[in-house]
Amino acid sequence: MIYKFLLALFCFVLFPFQGYALEPGEKLLYEKNSLYQYISVIDDTARKERYLRNQKRDYSQGGMSLTAPGKLLLEYTQMSFVSLAYLDREPKDVLFVGLGIGAMPRYFHRYYPEAHIDIVEIDADIMSAAKNYFYFKETANMKVHINDGRMFVKRTPKRYDMIFLDAYQNDDIPFHLTTVEFLREVKGKLKEDGVVAANILSSYRNKFFDSMVVTYKKVFPHLYIFAGQQSRNFIFIATAGKMKRSEESILEKARKIQTGKKFDIDLPKIASAYEYSTEYEWSSAKVLTDDFAPVNLYKYQKSDAR
Amino acid sequence: MIIRFIVFICGAVVMSFEILGSRVLAPNFGSSVFVWGSLISVFLAGLSAGYYLGGRLADINPSSRKLGLMLMVPGILFLTFPLYNAPIADWIFVKDLGVRSSPLLASAILFLTPSVFLGIVSPYTAKLMICSLRTSGKTIGTLYALSTFGSIMGTLVTSFYLITIAGVNALIMAQGLILILSALPLFFMNLYCKTETRS
Repeated sequence: MIYKFLLALFCFVLFPFQGYALEPGEKLLYEKNSLYQYISVIDDTARKERYLRNQKRDYSQGGMSLTAPGKLLLEYTQMSFVSLAYLDREPKDVLFVGLGIGAMPRYFHRYYPEAHIDIVEIDADIMSAAKNYFYFKETANMKVHINDGRMFVKRTPKRYDMIFLDAYQNDDIPFHLTTVEFLREVKGKLKEDGVVAANILSSYRNKFFDSMVVTYKKVFPHLYIFAGQQSRNFIFIATAGKMKRSEESILEKARKIQTGKKFDIDLPKIASAYEYSTEYEWSSAKVLTDDFAPVNLYKYQKSDAR
Repeated sequence: MIIRFIVFICGAVVMSFEILGSRVLAPNFGSSVFVWGSLISVFLAGLSAGYYLGGRLADINPSSRKLGLMLMVPGILFLTFPLYNAPIADWIFVKDLGVRSSPLLASAILFLTPSVFLGIVSPYTAKLMICSLRTSGKTIGTLYALSTFGSIMGTLVTSFYLITIAGVNALIMAQGLILILSALPLFFMNLYCKTETRS
């Protein structure tokens, strides 16, 4: 941990500026070493897109089209809205853990202006970047809380219809946001029949992925998995209610919401990737707990569960 | 030889415990900079107090037996860690003293005492070896190097490997066991020296 700290200091001294070379056509708009990470905002002038990135150029924390900033650019942000089809009512209270560029809450706010949206983000500089470069604005119904995600969930007196889990540090989920104990706390803050949508960035089948599936299944009665077509993102939809949703019912609900809300994303198409988690449950995979959660090491270990 | 081994082990245990400490705090206090800051400063406070105390104690008839007794304290604290960890952390969480004070208080209660005792080891063993074996500068240099080398190994092995094979509580208990076992030979060594008593 001193080691981590020294490493950070070392990186800071060696690379006070750009974390990596820019591609031709890319323009650096902003960079900062915040308390938690290296943040850069980069324009791709050829594709007319803007990204928020940490050190690694192949992982963008967020992306936005400069010609259509209101749209959801990254596949997983579109996919996560399939969670709406699992809720039997209009969402009134929604929580996002992890702000990023604020694309998802901003989109949510646009289509559900009446919903109360809480966002918890640990890094104040991420919020500034989202506000200054990605058209994110706080409103009376959409508030950002600068806090650790787990602390906010544990302390909030509110209950939510939907909770979106999308907290990443570089390309890892902080370990204390992956465990059974945390998911129980999340479930405890859901209203009846509430829905959790989690973004899981992982290669298909490694120990981390396997563990996430069994950990979610340990806490929630039903888990549905949507696999990205163009990305390595999975959206986990976990529901607190007893009822299992069939593929047909989800498709139908997605069509209904699409017609009603006139989304510019294709919700029925996203919903057609419906998979119930059974195919992903390997009983020998380890459930992650506060005591045992080697998330960042598990990512590099091949799955041995069958 | 045993003394050198113990210095190495204590160096390793300090850093390993510090890394595991971040995992102990995260569920109740998060992983904000305040948590990291509390953790690091409490360990450093413990070590510096330990160095000071260790130096004072080393001037009063140091012996291998006394060293063994002092190692039993963190040994037993680690071995029983799961018994008091959760109740204390939960209690402080419920008290809610704020984002800075809560993790600082939790770190102080959970980590300060063992790090004081682990800090005592360095100056104490140095004096013990110098006055009983009549060696000097070389001894101190070797002990410092071994202690820090132990810390490096403790850091690397814990963060790269141990975290994948066992839970945090089990690892801390194992450290307690290692401390107790490696302190046992000290009771049979009869290494000591008399210091002049001040009148």
